[in-house]
Amino acid sequence: MSESLNYKFLWDTFFVALSGVPVTLFVTVVALLIALPAGFLLALTRINKIPILNRLAQVYVSFVRGTPVIIQIFIVYSSVPLLLDSFFKANSINMKIYEVNPIWYAFIVFSFNTTAILIEVFRSALGTVPKGQLEAAHSVGLTNFQAYRRIIIPQALVVAMPNICTATVNLIKATSLGYAMSLQEITLKAKVAANAGYNYVEAYIDIFIVYLILCSLVEFAFKRYEQRLARYKPASA
Amino acid sequence: MEKYFDASYIWGAFPQLLPFLKVTFLVAGAAVLFGTIFGLLLAVAKIGKSLIAKKLANGYTTVLRCTPSIVLLFLVYYGIPYVGNKVGINLNDINRAIFVIIAFSLQFAAIMSEVIRSAYQSIDKGQFEAGVSVGLSPFQTLRRIVFPQMFVVALPNFGNGLIALLQEGALAYTIGLIDVVGKAELIIASNYNSHALEIFLALAVIYWVLSILIERFFLMLEKRFSRGKRTLETA
Repeated sequence: MSESLNYKFLWDTFFVALSGVPVTLFVTVVALLIALPAGFLLALTRINKIPILNRLAQVYVSFVRGTPVIIQIFIVYSSVPLLLDSFFKANSINMKIYEVNPIWYAFIVFSFNTTAILIEVFRSALGTVPKGQLEAAHSVGLTNFQAYRRIIIPQALVVAMPNICTATVNLIKATSLGYAMSLQEITLKAKVAANAGYNYVEAYIDIFIVYLILCSLVEFAFKRYEQRLARYKPASA
Repeated sequence: MEKYFDASYIWGAFPQLLPFLKVTFLVAGAAVLFGTIFGLLLAVAKIGKSLIAKKLANGYTTVLRCTPSIVLLFLVYYGIPYVGNKVGINLNDINRAIFVIIAFSLQFAAIMSEVIRSAYQSIDKGQFEAGVSVGLSPFQTLRRIVFPQMFVVALPNFGNGLIALLQEGALAYTIGLIDVVGKAELIIASNYNSHALEIFLALAVIYWVLSILIERFFLMLEKRFSRGKRTLETA
């Protein structure tokens, strides 16, 4: 390792790492698509104190926040295939468990994880909307659904946006742990490229840069969206 | 093949895993110590007057926030010996725990700099001015008036940062540190990769209990220290 950095490798591997971006983004988007509605609904159960669901959601959030993501990955990756396998066998579906694309496990882990984070985000955001808003909406004849869609959600979203941004950035960062499920994303692709010549320093510099660009773009996009949403912000007192 | 899932493995794993919490705590403790010191310096730079220092400190925080822990860990693990080699120091044989501590100190510093900065800015400027006006020196004012109030504000965020650090620290096994997770991997390997699920569940329980304990502890501290705050507000 005494020779200088291999700049050609550094340059080439940057594009290898870049080729992992679609997988990373795909997992992120699917996880968010599942987690946003699920997190919102579960947040409603917390706010309205629905007997059993409320308690379950509480334990769920506590578990996800209390355990490292990597261990959640380990657990899903070592339990779901077992369950699937017995399911396939019971229904005599001719499918080998080893042929399941690891991206499915990634969807499960990351939506499981992000839902819990978003429950707390939505719960605190919904808590900031005064109760009178819902009552006012009801009194002018809106249904519960209309009131939420037109009145409550836009206001809660303004408050929730910065936290959703943080959750998204954390999600993108967490997908780097997909290597434990042999998910072909940024980190794993560059690492595999480095294996041949032990060019790990270069590979990790590339990975580092790719994540930096990705996260900066996501943060920028959220900033723009927040500005647009700001029109729903109640006039500051 | 025997049963797929055997709950007795979960109980069996605890006595084997728990002694290795020592390593986890040691690494986390060192990272908290160094991270807080470095974070304090960064916060001073962010609050201070020098524009360059402010830009640098903010840039550092942004970059670190965008870097996955595992990437930072490997960057440190491969990068530092490489740089050491360049300047003629052989760092290849140094203990892996050192790399883990460096990586997580860097990360924790970014968190702490924000915690300290926001705590400092939450304290009314009048507090400092009042302290100086009754004849305290600026240092005395900071120590006696501003810090105690900052401490209460920073406490919950510090607790959250600590839990986050502990969880990210679970990745230390990837560079071969034998902490709880590393030990779990060893146990699984010695079982010929069977009953991995049970060992991971035991691991999850350990982390879960730890996080809840830390959370409770900080809630308790918060209650204790905000007693003084309340009397100040009513006064």
